[in-house]
Amino acid sequence: MTHPDSGALHQAAAAEATRVPILDLHDVRKRFGGTVALNGVTLSVAPGEVHGLIGENGAGKSTLIKILCGIVKPDSGAIRLSGEAYEPQAPRDAKARGLQVVHQEFNLLPFLSVAENIFIEHLPRNLFGVVKRKDMNVGARSALDAIGLKDIDVSWPVERLGIAHRQLVEVARALMTDSRVLILDEPTATLTSRETDRLFTIINDLRSRGVSVIFVSHHLDEIFRICDRVTVLRNGETVFSRPIGETSHDQLVRAMVGQQLQKEMASEAISSAGKETVLSLVNFRHAQSPHVDGISLDLHKGEILGIAGLVGSGRTELLRAIFAAEQPLSGTRLRNGKPAPFRSPREAIQAGIGFMTEDRKEEGLIMTMPIAANVTLASLSSVSRVGLIDSKLENAMTEQLGADLKLKYGGPSRHAATLSGGNQQKVVLAKWLARNPQVLLLDEPTRGVDVGAKAEIYALIRRLAEKGLALLVVSSELPELMTLCDRIMVMSQHRIVGELARADFSEEKILTYAYQGERRHAGH
Amino acid sequence: MPGMSMKLVLRDAGIGIALLLLIVFFSLSTEHFLTPNNISNILTQITINLILAIGMTFVILIGGIDLSVGSMLAFCAVVAGTVLTIPDFSVFQAVGLATLAALGTGVACGFLNGWISAFWGLPSFIVTLGMLNIARGAALQVTDARTIYSFPPSFNAFGSQMVFGVPVVFLIALALVAVAWFVLSKTVFGRLLYGIGNNEEAVRLAGHSLMFYKVAAFTIAGALVGIAAMVYMARLNIASPIIGIGFELNAIAAVIIGGTSLSGGRGTVIGTLLGACIIGVLANGLILFGLSDFMRQMITGVVIILAVIIDKYRERITAA
Repeated sequence: MTHPDSGALHQAAAAEATRVPILDLHDVRKRFGGTVALNGVTLSVAPGEVHGLIGENGAGKSTLIKILCGIVKPDSGAIRLSGEAYEPQAPRDAKARGLQVVHQEFNLLPFLSVAENIFIEHLPRNLFGVVKRKDMNVGARSALDAIGLKDIDVSWPVERLGIAHRQLVEVARALMTDSRVLILDEPTATLTSRETDRLFTIINDLRSRGVSVIFVSHHLDEIFRICDRVTVLRNGETVFSRPIGETSHDQLVRAMVGQQLQKEMASEAISSAGKETVLSLVNFRHAQSPHVDGISLDLHKGEILGIAGLVGSGRTELLRAIFAAEQPLSGTRLRNGKPAPFRSPREAIQAGIGFMTEDRKEEGLIMTMPIAANVTLASLSSVSRVGLIDSKLENAMTEQLGADLKLKYGGPSRHAATLSGGNQQKVVLAKWLARNPQVLLLDEPTRGVDVGAKAEIYALIRRLAEKGLALLVVSSELPELMTLCDRIMVMSQHRIVGELARADFSEEKILTYAYQGERRHAGH
Repeated sequence: MPGMSMKLVLRDAGIGIALLLLIVFFSLSTEHFLTPNNISNILTQITINLILAIGMTFVILIGGIDLSVGSMLAFCAVVAGTVLTIPDFSVFQAVGLATLAALGTGVACGFLNGWISAFWGLPSFIVTLGMLNIARGAALQVTDARTIYSFPPSFNAFGSQMVFGVPVVFLIALALVAVAWFVLSKTVFGRLLYGIGNNEEAVRLAGHSLMFYKVAAFTIAGALVGIAAMVYMARLNIASPIIGIGFELNAIAAVIIGGTSLSGGRGTVIGTLLGACIIGVLANGLILFGLSDFMRQMITGVVIILAVIIDKYRERITAA
C-alpha cells in the first residue's frame, strides 16, 4: 500500500521508535460486507500524549474506536497496548487493559441518578448487596467537583440534565477508573465554549498524570489548542500524522477533504438583508422563561440572524416557542407586522415558517422511511390528489430538491438512515424548502456534519438568504455564526444580553456578553 | 410507498414462503388437508381473526395496541343481535340496521380508545385493557348475560354461502385487506400512520395533527370489530356476551407473524393476511396431523416467538 504521505509516515514512525508508544496500531483493516471501513490505519500514541484524530464523517474514526474498545474485531493488522498484543473480545477486556472510551452516543441511564450512573460499573455495596448510597453520593460528588461540575446535584436523575452536562457526566464516569488511554469521541460536539474549557482543563490534568488521550473532533481550533500530535484519516486510511507544531489548519483541511471545498468556506459573505420585517417578537416568553419581559427581536427579509449563547441559555426553547412546538407563556409574535398567535406547528408552517431542529434523528427525520417520504413530509398536499400520493410527482420533487442541494444519495427510495450526517441535514432542509418558506429557523444546522458538507450547507444558507429567505440561526459554534450571519444576538439566562453587527463580530465580544449574563445570574 | 415497497415485498415473500412450506408439509403428511372441503373450512375459520387483525395492523403500525377487540366483538354482537331480533322489521331492514348498530358500537368504542389515549397521552395498552373490561361488562349488562339467537334464516344462510368453494365471508375479508392495503400504501393518511409509528415528533413538527391519526387508527380498528361481529353472527347464528374471549391475542399474533413491528412503523396488511393464514393452517393441519388442541396451542406460541426473532434478525441485517 503506497500513498503520497507514506514517506512522511515512515519518517514519523522512525522518530517514534525512540519513545515507546503506549498504543500502537499497524496497518489495521476492516471490511463490513462489501464496504471497506478501514483500509490500513497506522497510529502511534505516546504516554501522556494528547493525540488528535480527525477526518470527515465516514473516514473510519468510529470503526477505529469500536475496534479499540472491543466492539468490533479487525480483519487484519496488529495492535499493541503497553507493548503487548491487544485483541479485546469485548468492552470488558478494553477496560481491564486500561483503555476507556467516552462515546459520542450517550450511554447514560436517564432515570437513574447522576451518582448511580457514575458508579454503575461498581456500585459500592455492603455485605447484603445493598447499595451504600451515602458512599456513592460522596464519591460522585468528588468526581463531579474534580471536573468542575459543582452546580449539579448527584441525586438528580440524569434526564434532568442538559445534553452538555450529560456529556460531562460521561467524562466523570470514565475518569472513575484509572486508565492509561482515554478515548474521547467528539466530546465537544454538544458543549459550549465554557464547558469545552472545562474539559480541556481535565485533559491537561490527565496529560500531566501520564494518561494518553485520543481526542476526536470536527473542530480544528480545538485540535490546535489541546493536542500534541494529530492524525488524519481519509477513506479508512491514515493519510497524515505529525506533531501539532509542524502542521497548519490549512494543511489539515487539505488532508481531510481535498482542495476544492475550501474555497466555499472561505468566500466572503455579502449581506442581502432587506428592510422589510418578516418576523417580530415582542416580550415573547417561552415556557421556561423566568423573565417577565421575555425576548423582543426583529428578523428582516433576506437576513441571517444568529443567536449565540451558552447551553441552557434558552436558545432552543425560543425557536421551539416561535414555531409553536411548545406554547409560549406570553408576548406577541408578529408575522409581516400582523399578530400571529399560532396554536400548533401546523399554523406556523402555514404562515411560511420552517424549523430545522437540533436533533435530526429524534425530531427531524424518519430514519427508516425513504428519502422521498422525508422530503415531502411537510408538503404532502402538493404531491397528492384527493389524499392519494402521486409517487411520480413525489420522486420528481425529491430529485429536483436533491439536485438543488447537491444531495448525495442512492435514490429517492433509499432510507434516510443510509445517508451521511451532512446529507441527512440536507434532506431536512429540503423538507422545508419544498414549502417555499419565508422564514427558516435553524437549530445547530451543522451539528455532527463533516467539514466538506459544512461548507456546502453554509453556501446553501447564504444562497437562500440572497433569494429573500429570512433565517434565524442558533449555533454553539461561534465561527459558524460569524461566517454566516449578518447580525448576532447573544442570549444568556433566557434573555437577549447583547447584539452585534457584522462589523463588530469577534469571539471575545460574544463570549463577554454570554458570560456577563451568567455572572449577573450567579449574583442573585 | 416508494422503494419501501420493494423491501416490504421481500419481507412478505419470506412469510409467504413459510406459509407455502406449511401447506406443502400438511398436504404430504395428512390425507384430508388439501381437500376442497377442508380448504373452505380453513378459510371460514380464518375470516374473523383476519378481519380483526386488519384493524389491529392499523393500531400496531402507529405503535399502539388494542387489547379490547375480543370484548368489543361481544358487545357489538349483542347490540346488533338485539336489533336483528326485533320482530317488526323486514329481514332487509333488520340486517341493515343491525350492521349499522354493530359498526356504530365498534366505532364508538374504538374512538374512545383512541381519543382517551391520545388526549391524555396514555399508553394504549392500559386504555384498551380498561375497554376490554368495559365492553365485556356492557355486553353482559345489555343482555343480562343471556345469549341471543334465532336470527332470520336468510341471514344465517349468507354466513355459510360459498362461491366456487370459497366462503363469501372470506371474500369480504379479502376485500377489506385490499382496501386496507390501498389506504396504507397509496394515501397520505397511510403514509402518516407509518410516519407516526417511526417518529411521531418529526411528523408533528412537519405540521400534522397526531391526535387525528391516532384516533383514526383506533376508530378503524373498532369499525372492523363491528364487521367481524356481523360475520360471527351470520356464521354461528348466535350473539352471546361471552364470545370473543382472547380473540385480541390471536389478532395480535397474526399481525406479528405477518412481520409488522410491535414498536410501530413497519409492516403491511398483506403480511397480516399471510400471518392469519399461517395461524389458520397450523390450527387445522396440526389437528389433522393427529396432535391435540393443546399441542396446537403450544406450537402456535412457538411460531409467534419465532416470528419476532426472525423480525429482529432481519432488522439487524437491514440496519447494517
